[in-house]
Amino acid sequence: MRRAIRNYLVFLWRCARVAFVGDWRYYAWMGLLTIFCLLGLNAYAKQFVHGLITTGMSDEVSWGVYIANFTFLVGVAAAAVMMVIPVYIYNNEELHDLVIFGELLAVAAILMCLAFVTVDLGRPDRFWHLIPGIGEFNFPASMLSWDVIVLNGYLLLNVHICGYLLYCRYRNRKPAKWFYIPFVFIAIVWAVSIHTVTAFLYVGLGGRPFWNSAIVGPRFLASAFTAGPALIILALQIIRGVTRYHISDKALLTLRSIVQVSMLINVFLLANEVFKEFYSGNLHVISSKYLYVGLHGHHALVPWIWTAITFNLIAMILLVLPVTRSLRWLNLTCVLCIVGIWIEKGMGLVIPGFIPTPLGEMVEYSPSLNETLICFGIWSFGLLCYTIFLRMSVPILQGTLSKANEGQPELEMAGPEFSPARPS
Amino acid sequence: MNARSKTSVVLRILMILFIGLAGAFLADLWGHPQRLYPIPEVDPSVIDTATVRQSYADLIRAKADLSDFDCYTCHEKSKPPPLRFDANQNIIIPKEHADIVMGHGRHNRNNNCFNCHNETNLEQFQTKDGRELKLSESTPLCGSCHGPTYRDWEAGAHGRISGYWNRELGAFTRKDCVNCHNPHSPGFPPRKPGPGPHLLHSAGEAVAASESKP
Amino acid sequence: MSDPIHANPAGATPGNGTSRRSFLRTSAVLTTGLAALAASLAPLRELSDFTSAEKFFQKYYKELTPAEMAAVLKRIEREVEKQYGIRPHVRDLKPMDGVEFVYAHNLTRCIGCRKCVHACVAENNQSRNPEIQYIRVLRLPHGSLDMEKAEHNYAPEQVPEKGYFYMPVQCQQCKNPPCVKVCPVHATWQEADGITVIDYDWCIGCRYCEAACPYWARRFNFAKPSIPKDKINPDMAYLGNRPRRQGVMEKCHFCIQRTRVGRYPACLEVCPTGARKFGNILDPNSEVSHILRTKRVFIQLKEELGTSPRFFYYFDV
Repeated sequence: MRRAIRNYLVFLWRCARVAFVGDWRYYAWMGLLTIFCLLGLNAYAKQFVHGLITTGMSDEVSWGVYIANFTFLVGVAAAAVMMVIPVYIYNNEELHDLVIFGELLAVAAILMCLAFVTVDLGRPDRFWHLIPGIGEFNFPASMLSWDVIVLNGYLLLNVHICGYLLYCRYRNRKPAKWFYIPFVFIAIVWAVSIHTVTAFLYVGLGGRPFWNSAIVGPRFLASAFTAGPALIILALQIIRGVTRYHISDKALLTLRSIVQVSMLINVFLLANEVFKEFYSGNLHVISSKYLYVGLHGHHALVPWIWTAITFNLIAMILLVLPVTRSLRWLNLTCVLCIVGIWIEKGMGLVIPGFIPTPLGEMVEYSPSLNETLICFGIWSFGLLCYTIFLRMSVPILQGTLSKANEGQPELEMAGPEFSPARPS
Repeated sequence: MNARSKTSVVLRILMILFIGLAGAFLADLWGHPQRLYPIPEVDPSVIDTATVRQSYADLIRAKADLSDFDCYTCHEKSKPPPLRFDANQNIIIPKEHADIVMGHGRHNRNNNCFNCHNETNLEQFQTKDGRELKLSESTPLCGSCHGPTYRDWEAGAHGRISGYWNRELGAFTRKDCVNCHNPHSPGFPPRKPGPGPHLLHSAGEAVAASESKP
Repeated sequence: MSDPIHANPAGATPGNGTSRRSFLRTSAVLTTGLAALAASLAPLRELSDFTSAEKFFQKYYKELTPAEMAAVLKRIEREVEKQYGIRPHVRDLKPMDGVEFVYAHNLTRCIGCRKCVHACVAENNQSRNPEIQYIRVLRLPHGSLDMEKAEHNYAPEQVPEKGYFYMPVQCQQCKNPPCVKVCPVHATWQEADGITVIDYDWCIGCRYCEAACPYWARRFNFAKPSIPKDKINPDMAYLGNRPRRQGVMEKCHFCIQRTRVGRYPACLEVCPTGARKFGNILDPNSEVSHILRTKRVFIQLKEELGTSPRFFYYFDV
């Protein structure tokens, strides 16, 4: 038992050490991320002291970029499951070794979600009020309580699956199927649930007709399954570029087809929403009017939403045209998907729900400098976490970081590109 | 430059940036993010609960000077004051009572002083059904014509009540008609509204909901 | 055996020189990084009176024993005295039996003077800057309840203006309150007399209730509230008008410190035309019972949402 604990601690220690070594590009990237993290932390310290008046939020628009980013990132986390399904249900071998990168992205995304929610709270020092049993937990009435459960549960699921598989590979042991396969299947259902619950946060509010629509849930899932795999494709391209980890073109094209179908569904659902809002001409359309064409002289969000729609449509065209199936366009397509959906789900969903207020007041919102720094800080923190996860997992999967070479001088300190290529 | 010296350069730059950042944080370089726009204090008269007018009963309670209401210092007891009307049936107010502006009822329906005042006893009111009421009992006088409003007033639905809603725990006062309504020109007087709301993040006031208001 | 892992990477020479240099290099960067990290938290120096052990561990309102509540009330009195120089009287008032509060507002009589707004601010110790006002008076054109046509900032020389009517909106104390449903920590709940209350010491400030309210009735303390010392109302209640803190929600509570001892709320007391009517709907002799029996047309705002508000707007003529 003591030996097992010692082995595990040594494993963790070596993982932590390897995160601090790399080549100059690695240091530059991590350094840049750290700087943004620190800027964000400083901005948050100011917000903690002075209150949420340091943001651009007000009683009229009481949720802003924090919740917008949170919504987007829950989708990204849920989309990790899009790789699990082909591999574990359809036995797709190409993606088999890449699923873990998706699950690690899910972990990083959930950490970002938790950070965004924490910085949005007015009294984060009272977080313990949320803990079931110790605090007062309004389950099952409050959708936020569901969100707390499903997000933390999803985090634990993915940490368990990734941690177990990586540790087994480190120990060069075959992982015991019963210890991770059931969790993988639970994670499939759980991933859909985290995003549905997040959608229900909005759908359940009868006083906000812009949100109180059945299409919000399916739209969330469609856009999540577009943006998430798109991010994973970009991550895999980077892994291909900086390490010698083998990632086949076929794997990327499989992911691309997932993005393609999801984007088609997303655009179709958008058309549904636009028709429903504008055709019947009832009074509930005013928030949509504000978003798409402006209302009474206020049109701050109009350029944003049309940019998002343009990006989505271009991405959709790029995804369906056979002649552009080449991987050349894939990166651009993914970037367009991600940016378009980020705008649409973030600013295009959260903000118009508040404008105009239920009493008809029009107060616009734009994030303050402090708010923006905190957002960049949390995104940098998430990217930092993900980079560290990859920095640890790639050598483990390649075999260069394993129990077998424990105690040897840490020669992988010079950087993964110096490790000779190993068949995956 | 080989990889190792590139790494050194990057690390050195990072060190400088970290130190610079630490300095910037300690010096609070980008200033205080909180900014409160000044909001003028509200005049205390806005939250004053006093009624628009005082009734005769209020004056009695306040032991005020009631000599103005002693009609027979000028009028004669046996002589009812004559009423004079102009060509349009409007009452002509005598110059001694020039502070009265008649505006009770449309189309000059209520322009006869003795609809309410008692010409044989000026220190009393009279109702159309023959009741004689003291000057401090103006409310039943109003109620003798304004029945539905009077019933609402009795139930507490019209006019001002203050004090305790729970009558067992404390007293309540129900204001009289004349506390709000000038009996000669009863329309409730318009007034200047209190200041409107201020936004959190701008010096302006809350933006108009609609530019195309009717 | 020749193990590719142990092949020397290009450019690195084994031996103590490299490892010591790289160790020093790494630790220098780490040190400056940690210094930057510590410096980034510099703004926390200005944090004062944010919380204490007593406040941090304070239990949920419904779980406080009477002795604990007495201690909490004493703590609040001490804090208010320290901050504002006045010793207040803070009580924990319980709902009265056989009472359900209802508010009726006469739209014929309301002249839109906003006295209720400011009387509420004075009675309930609301922040003057940032400005928090529980009541928002809307000016609507004759014939329409469309909120898009509502004007919040009318400022004519005199009210009422021809062609408009005025509708003050505050917490409707709904029978089916969406805010209570969505609060993740039960910081807001409805009491037996119909008032939806907030435990200011339990609220985590997530603002989900503010998003859920269809009447825009809830307010958040974006900054530390500022109340002029000479304007503090020392007659306070725990669930009512005791001064709130940064980061928590607040809203109209029907002047709980007045109504639960049998008095009318401040907005009603100041209304010059007597448009506001308040009382116990379970008492058939109350003025609100009379109004709901005899008036024929009532408006419950956004009735179709199923919130069942306890605020009835009606017309006389």
